[in-house]
Amino acid sequence: MIALEDFCVSFGQAVALRNATLSLARGARLGVVGESGSGKTMLGLSLMGMVPDAARRSGTMTVDGVEMGSASEADWQKMRARRVAMVFQEPMAALNPLRRVGDTVMEPMRLHDGLSRARAQARAVSLFEEVGIPDPAARLRQFPHELSGGQRQRVLIALALACNPALLIADEPTTALDANVALRITDLLVRLSREREMALVFISHDLGAVSRATDTLVVMYGGDMVEQGPTAQVLAAPLHPYTKGLLAARPDPARSGRDASGKRRRLPTIPGTVPPLHALPAGCRFSGRCSVEITACALQRPALRWADATQAAACHLLTGGDA
Amino acid sequence: MRGLPANLVIGAVLVGLVVGIAALSLVWTPHEATQMNIRGKFGDPSAQHWLGTDQLGRDVVSQLMAAARNSMTVALIAVLLGGSIGVALGLLASALGGWVEEAVMRLADLGFAFPALLFAIMLAAVFGPSLTNAVLAISFINIPVFARITRASANQIWTRDYVMAARAAGMSRFAITRDHILPNVAAPIIVQATIEFAVAILAEAALSYLGLGAQPPASSWGRMLSEAQTLMFMAPELAIYPGLCIMIAVLGFSLLGDGLRDITDPRLVRER
Repeated sequence: MIALEDFCVSFGQAVALRNATLSLARGARLGVVGESGSGKTMLGLSLMGMVPDAARRSGTMTVDGVEMGSASEADWQKMRARRVAMVFQEPMAALNPLRRVGDTVMEPMRLHDGLSRARAQARAVSLFEEVGIPDPAARLRQFPHELSGGQRQRVLIALALACNPALLIADEPTTALDANVALRITDLLVRLSREREMALVFISHDLGAVSRATDTLVVMYGGDMVEQGPTAQVLAAPLHPYTKGLLAARPDPARSGRDASGKRRRLPTIPGTVPPLHALPAGCRFSGRCSVEITACALQRPALRWADATQAAACHLLTGGDA
Repeated sequence: MRGLPANLVIGAVLVGLVVGIAALSLVWTPHEATQMNIRGKFGDPSAQHWLGTDQLGRDVVSQLMAAARNSMTVALIAVLLGGSIGVALGLLASALGGWVEEAVMRLADLGFAFPALLFAIMLAAVFGPSLTNAVLAISFINIPVFARITRASANQIWTRDYVMAARAAGMSRFAITRDHILPNVAAPIIVQATIEFAVAILAEAALSYLGLGAQPPASSWGRMLSEAQTLMFMAPELAIYPGLCIMIAVLGFSLLGDGLRDITDPRLVRER
C-alpha cells in the first residue's frame, strides 16, 4: 500500500535519508533498526509526509498508488490518520497536558470522518478497549498526568488508530517504558496489525522487540539502508559488518561473566559513534568504524546486493550476489 | 493565603477594591456625579459630602466613583480589542511562519516605535478628541505587545511532541492552533493582559488630562487632575484624590500581573 523508491531527504549538504527503497503490503510488519542519527526517524516522518520544511525531498513515494513524494501539506493532511498514522517515542510529551485524553483521541474522528460527539465517544471507548485500557469510559475524561506511562502509550496508539489507518508507524514506541510494559506494548502492536490487517513499521533500537514484532527488517546506518531481509534470517545470519556489530553488542548472559583465564569479559561494542550527517565518509558510510574494511570502502559507495532471493546488504565484501 | 506571593494578594485586594467601587457606581453613588451646586463649591468634607465638593460644587466621592467606572471600561475595551487582534496576529505568525511571520513581526516593531500618546494626539487631531478615539489609540498600542508575546510563546508550543502527534493525526494548522496552541499560551497572555490593564488606565488618565480622552461632563481621573491643577494652591486635595485613585488602580493591576506571572511561570517556581 505504500512504496518508496530512491527517496532522499537532505538538509543542504547533509543527507538524512539516502535512496530509501521499500514497499509495504497490507498487514506487513517491517522493523527498522539503527543507532541514533541513522535516519530511522526521518524514514518514519517521510512516510507521514512530515519531514521538516527546511528539508529537500527527492525520489518517489506512492500511497495506494497515488504519488505523494512531492505532495502538498493539504494533501498529506487528508492522508494522515486515515491511511497512515504514527505513534511517538515519548508518551509523556506526546499528549497535550491541558486536554482530556478522550478529546485528543476523538479529534481526528470528528475532523476526518465527521462523527458526532456521541458517536466519536462510542468509537473512542471501543478503541480504548481494543488497546487494553481498563474502564475506558472513565479514562476518556482523564488528563494525561493521571495516567501511567504504559497507559499513555496505549492512548496514543488509540489516537493513531482513530481513523482505521492502513499503516501504523511506531517510532521507538517502547523506549521510554519499563521492560515489562514495553513487551506488552510490542505484543499489542503486533496483535493490532494482525487483527486489522494493518501494515506496521516498527522503528526501534531494541533488537529483541524487533525480532518479536516484525517479519522483515531494515538496518539503517548514516541515512542508508545497509541491510534488509526477513527479520529472523537477518538476525541469525547478518551480512553487513554493521549488523554483525549490532548483534554482537547485545548483552548475552551466556557470554558474560568471566572467561577461562578468569578475566571479566567485556561487552563487544562498535568503536566510535555515528558521524554527524555533514561529515559522513564519501564511500561506504560505515568506513572508519568497520572492522573488516578494505581500500575500496572509503572511496566507493557499495550498492545493495542481493545475497539470495530475500536478503540484501550494501557491502563491498559481499560477493557472489547480484548487484 | 499561605503559599501565594504577597504581590498577588495585595494586587488582588487593590483590584477588587477599584473594580468593586466601579461596579457599585453603576447602581449607586452618594450624589449625581455631574450635578453642580455653585453655592456649595469647595465644600469641606462632611457627612453629606465625604470628601467635600469641587470648584463647581460637585460631590468628589461620586465623581471619583464614576471616573473609576469610566476608567475600567476604557481599559477593558482597549485591552480586549487590542489583545484579541494582537493574539490573533501572533498565532497567525506562529502557525504560518515564513514571510507572514516576518511581516507581522516587523509591523509589530513599527507599532512599538510609535509612542502611544503621540498616536492618540494624532488621532485626536484627525478625528477630534473623544473617548472613542482614546480607546482606539490605547487598543492600537496593545496590538504589537500581544502579537509579540503570543508568537514567542506559540513558537515554543509548536515544537512540542503533542503538536507533532496532532499533525500526525491529520489536523490542520488552524485546528492545532485552536485546540493545542491557544490553551497552552493562555497563561502568559492573561498575565500580560493584567499588566496592560494598568498601562491602559495610565494612558486613559494621561489622554484625559491632555483633554484628548473623556470630554466634559463625563468624569475621569485624568480630567479631574487637570481641572484641579489650576486650583493647586486653593484646594490641593482636589488633585490629590484622583492622583491617589490612579496610583491605587495602576499599582493593583501591576502587582496582580506580577503575582500571576510568579505563579504561572515554572521557571520562577523555585525562587519563591
